[in-house]
Amino acid sequence: MSDHENSQPLMDLYPFLHQKKEKPLQEKLALLDSIKQKSSQSIAVKEAFYENNSEALLAMAQGVADVYQSNGRMLAMGNGGSSCDAAHFCVEFQHPVTAGRPALPAINLLSDMAVTSAVANDVGFKHIYVRQLCAHGQQGDGLMGFSTSGNSDNLIAAYGKAKELGITTFGFAGGDGGEMKSSGLVDHCLVVDSDSIHRVQEVHVSCYHILWDLTHTLLADTRGKVTKK
Amino acid sequence: MKFVDEFRDKDKAKSLIKSIKAIAKNIAPRQTKPLQIMEFCGGHTHTIFRYGIEQMLPDNIEMVHGPGCPVCVLPMGRVDDCVALAERPEVIFTTFGDAMRVPGSKKSLLQAKADGADIRMTYSPMDALNLARKNPDKEVIFFGLGFETTMPSSAFTVLEAEREGITNFSLFCNHITTVPTIKAVLDSPDMKLDGFLAPGHVAMVIGERPFDFIAEDYDKPLVITGFEPLDILQSLWMVLKQIDENRSEVENQYTRIVQPNGNTPALAALTKVFEVREFFEWRGLGSIDHSGVRMKAEYAAFDAEKKFSVANIKIADPKSCQCGEVVKGVIKPWDCKIFGTKCTPETPMGALMVSSEGACAAYYNNGYDKKKSA
Repeated sequence: MSDHENSQPLMDLYPFLHQKKEKPLQEKLALLDSIKQKSSQSIAVKEAFYENNSEALLAMAQGVADVYQSNGRMLAMGNGGSSCDAAHFCVEFQHPVTAGRPALPAINLLSDMAVTSAVANDVGFKHIYVRQLCAHGQQGDGLMGFSTSGNSDNLIAAYGKAKELGITTFGFAGGDGGEMKSSGLVDHCLVVDSDSIHRVQEVHVSCYHILWDLTHTLLADTRGKVTKK
Repeated sequence: MKFVDEFRDKDKAKSLIKSIKAIAKNIAPRQTKPLQIMEFCGGHTHTIFRYGIEQMLPDNIEMVHGPGCPVCVLPMGRVDDCVALAERPEVIFTTFGDAMRVPGSKKSLLQAKADGADIRMTYSPMDALNLARKNPDKEVIFFGLGFETTMPSSAFTVLEAEREGITNFSLFCNHITTVPTIKAVLDSPDMKLDGFLAPGHVAMVIGERPFDFIAEDYDKPLVITGFEPLDILQSLWMVLKQIDENRSEVENQYTRIVQPNGNTPALAALTKVFEVREFFEWRGLGSIDHSGVRMKAEYAAFDAEKKFSVANIKIADPKSCQCGEVVKGVIKPWDCKIFGTKCTPETPMGALMVSSEGACAAYYNNGYDKKKSA
């Protein structure tokens, strides 16, 4: 049997071996269909989440408002995409984009890479948030964490330290909530019931946008009385 | 038994282990980390576990168990599709036995059967075609599962159905290919594997040449391997010999079965009936481009996806499980964030936990459920 006899079937089965784009139109249709399915799923996950968690989100907003009411600060943490959410969360509170809402203190615990790399290098990545809480955290503050699995070691360690320091704890997780949910260390823990990291993160983004709105509305009666430390 | 007993000979095994240890000792001074050799195929993993091969290897050699079990990598959504098809009152749903237990998001086929769906275990798609002949008032669907190994039998069955004019038979095609998946592993930036034992029965169909790119473009030795313990040991020795001699080649240890050019009639049949999908989801690994096949439009009459309006496959969303990192050799199973918590043998999120021979299931069942430092 010659190589040539089987060359075409192998080219058909493994197009990448021959750098061949077989059917670009078919690929385009498949990708467009994938967009439609993913966007529908994203909407469905959001709808299901808010159907089941609106009251809990409102309770979380009251918790955040209480932190600011008593002149506390919010501290935020996460890893990877969730660290972007932590940073974004802090931007919303520090940099209000509408009139009449004060800038409120919210610190992204991953913003100081020198400290992060020092702790990670010397002690371990598990401790990067704990060490910063030791330095910055005070009773009356709030700690917000984001994790799609709910099982990030450095978040769980930080939550443990936060409870020791009298810091109110908040968190957004995914899946079944992992240790964030089961440990009891997070006073307000909202879980997006999805195994898709992307769908979970999409809900988290909408959540802290809404959370920011709710917090300011709850603080409205005392606006002007909230002062920085 | 011919071709079995000779390849389980204890004395020959001891001799091969001795040779492996000698060559590993030779390589050791040049290593900065343990050598990580992947066996891609679930059949190889089964042999390695059954005969305790991993425990016989020297400390500077590690086996990385690949995702090569087509049952284990079946995504939850496709199992849900199977259950939905099987629960149709007009359908007899047929499948290989090992697919019955794979969990979907709500239930497995076994649970659906317990709930009253007409689901029957078959040993080949031809059994399903026979059922279609005997039950003309029913729609018989065969769950087409497996790598390149089982694709030809599915293809031949469809061609036979067409030849006989049977209209109540269809294939629910979930066949996947190994070669693009090995490439996906190799393309990962932090991939740590040093060599491969390639699936012997896949090579029986496709031959040796499709694996050439692994040696030529990625500089990794690959040995096409049989499924008995001496096959595994000899192939390991061959991979180590290549590493020791600084070679990267495709070698064929399984010459009693695998011909260099593969099986021509099998290749012709499968490429007549099937075409490559743009992407396909592998449980725990995400979507891998061109790693699945579907039936060509001209065989729509035998395509369960068309006949029963099954939703199109979408690009998989990344999930919490870290099967990809495990198969690349970057982390151990217990390092995965959901190992032993959300992902257990009872609730497997990733392929490596679905089967008892998957790396994660094996470690979990052996008590490695606490995180250990590297």
